[in-house]
Amino acid sequence: MRFHIEVVHPERCIGCYSCVYACSRHLFNIIDPSKVAVFVRVNGTLANPFTVITCRFCKNPECALVCPRGALQPLPEGGITLIASKCEGCKTFDCINACMIRALALDKITNLPIICDRCGDCAKYCPHNVFKYEEMK
Amino acid sequence: MPIRILYVNLSERSSRVVDRPDLFSKYLGGAGIASKLLLEEVRPGIDPFSPETPIIFAAGYMTGVFPCMVKAIAMFKSPLTKNLGESHSGGHFASALRFAGYDALVIHGASEHPIIIKIIDDEVKVKMADSLWGLSPLDVEKALRECSYEGMQSVISCGKAGENLVCYSNVIVDRFHHFGRLGLGAIFGSKKLKAISILGRKGISLKNPLAVKEVYEKLHHKVVISDEMSKYHNLGTSANMLELNELGALPTHNFKESRFKDAERISGETMAESLLRRKISCPGCPIACIHLAGLKTSFAPEHERGKKEIFHEEVLVPYNYEAMYALGNNLLIKDKRDLILLIYRCESLGLDAMMMGTVLAWVTEAFEEGRITLDETLGIKPAWGDAEAYIKIIDNTVEMKNKFYAKLAQGVVAASEKYGGREYAMALGNNGMAGYITGYGAILGPLVGARHSHLSNSGYSIDQKIMNKPISIEQMVDFLIDQEDWLYVLFSLGACYFARRIYSEEVVCEALKALGIDKTQDELMKMGKEIFHNLYKFKVREGFELSEQNIPKRIFEVQTPHGKLEFEKIKSMIDYYIKKREKEGLHLKPEEKALKELLK
Repeated sequence: MRFHIEVVHPERCIGCYSCVYACSRHLFNIIDPSKVAVFVRVNGTLANPFTVITCRFCKNPECALVCPRGALQPLPEGGITLIASKCEGCKTFDCINACMIRALALDKITNLPIICDRCGDCAKYCPHNVFKYEEMK
Repeated sequence: MPIRILYVNLSERSSRVVDRPDLFSKYLGGAGIASKLLLEEVRPGIDPFSPETPIIFAAGYMTGVFPCMVKAIAMFKSPLTKNLGESHSGGHFASALRFAGYDALVIHGASEHPIIIKIIDDEVKVKMADSLWGLSPLDVEKALRECSYEGMQSVISCGKAGENLVCYSNVIVDRFHHFGRLGLGAIFGSKKLKAISILGRKGISLKNPLAVKEVYEKLHHKVVISDEMSKYHNLGTSANMLELNELGALPTHNFKESRFKDAERISGETMAESLLRRKISCPGCPIACIHLAGLKTSFAPEHERGKKEIFHEEVLVPYNYEAMYALGNNLLIKDKRDLILLIYRCESLGLDAMMMGTVLAWVTEAFEEGRITLDETLGIKPAWGDAEAYIKIIDNTVEMKNKFYAKLAQGVVAASEKYGGREYAMALGNNGMAGYITGYGAILGPLVGARHSHLSNSGYSIDQKIMNKPISIEQMVDFLIDQEDWLYVLFSLGACYFARRIYSEEVVCEALKALGIDKTQDELMKMGKEIFHNLYKFKVREGFELSEQNIPKRIFEVQTPHGKLEFEKIKSMIDYYIKKREKEGLHLKPEEKALKELLK
């Protein structure tokens, strides 16, 4: 099942990282806040509210446009998919840096960008409904 | 799986990593490995402030893997008790340590100049930090917070109280959490270690991810939905205030009374309706028991429109029941803003709010009795409910303004031994009492507990459960023994005390199995007992004698829900406790020869 996911109540985030841990468990079968497609970020101090980021599933994703090899393919429903064979793990971080909200992370082992596959686990494990998610038709 | 220990030497500014497979097979992690390292690393009879005194930190085996597995354990020699220092903290510390690739961090040596330890995965640096010395831990957290898009960071730091060697100074963890109670802040201060920053960017791999996911799913649901945890989700521990008041178990007026007529004005309910701004969690725990109040302070008066306090800036102050009892009802503070202000002062200076409250209560009573005068207090008149005076006393204590304040900095027992009033110096095992006069469990628990905390063995909790069905002396002691042994299993896994009801024996066995560890309940219980024995071996080695522990007389004068407590009954409980523990093979009396060695 695939979901449309949106961060709708970032102000409710308590910093429990349940979404982050769920994401790395789902994508890589590990627990690693660096290998994820959902981010809970601390802004300078824990006295500030957290920033919660997921892919916005852009219609014209800049991350895909900047890739010289076309490894990131825009999808008709928004967002991107990775064609791993085309990605050279170029380490120029073009795709990572292109995203203004930094919703892409780089897998340090494979050097491939980590793409949200819309599994919805982040939303399912959030205890305060920070995310809105609905099944994609 | 070996336990990976990072050793940092502050004198040599060096570090090395040691793998210890033996520790894992015996203790799994957390409190277990810390208890063993403590026996190995701390030289008998050492001065807590000696450069050689180590600090041991350990993360639990299940840190980050299952819900509420968030606590880091610190072990050291306490400057307050001159004996076992053990403190547990939430926050990002345990997680960051594990994500950096370590199970434990052991710090040796000391520096002549202020320094910090900065760890980013395998990169470990001891750096000069003159610019941080004297700063509040709240400012240090801002200064050291990395602008990193990956991993997890923790910043822990002592405050002025630690720098000045106040014996009950805390290490503040990620702004809102603490290694509290037994003076770890002063050990940092004695080493000129201002702070530690850890950024962990590695992962925790899982052998059988499917099994882990299955157990996680079940536990997460239980933690988020079940009634057992709703208290912590909602009001947090501050819910205790009105419950205990109703029960007649709320320490008030330095334990003279067990009800506070103004409890409602400073209760968790009142806070939630007025000052509560945010709630915050430890990474890996969906509860968010840390409640943050907004404390408004005015800008400079000359810039206030119409010279009225219209515009305000606001700081966030964490409040919980223990700080609220110690600096609230026990001091007859009835204004919620005053209470938050007092907590904030302790936070900014890096002081243990519970012990500071106990000290302030003793000061007020000793002043009333004329044991101390304005000469000692430097003209400050301590009075019940007077937050302004209390703030001045707190500041003078941290600055150790004169001999009297320097004594206060050593804790309530040291102060009362010098100036009198021991009968109302409310400490058990030299540690300031927690906010419960629920019955025998609340006294016996911290007295026999390895770290003299109410959380050692839940004595205060059993008191409340047996209101209508009293239990025998033996049943009480048996409960405390079983509870403490079992809790050390949970503390080896990294569990938060608040999640103890989620992690039953069966659940722990199931969770371990998902990680590929087959252990029976009996084996686990044995492990917990061995950890407790390790800690008591250390305590006895350092001169602790259970049978000679002082209980302040005030305890026997105040009404509790179980009536007035009787000294003789507590004494029989201690005797039975000693008998039972000795039957387990634990020696509870320091050997004379060993004592002589210590006294040399």
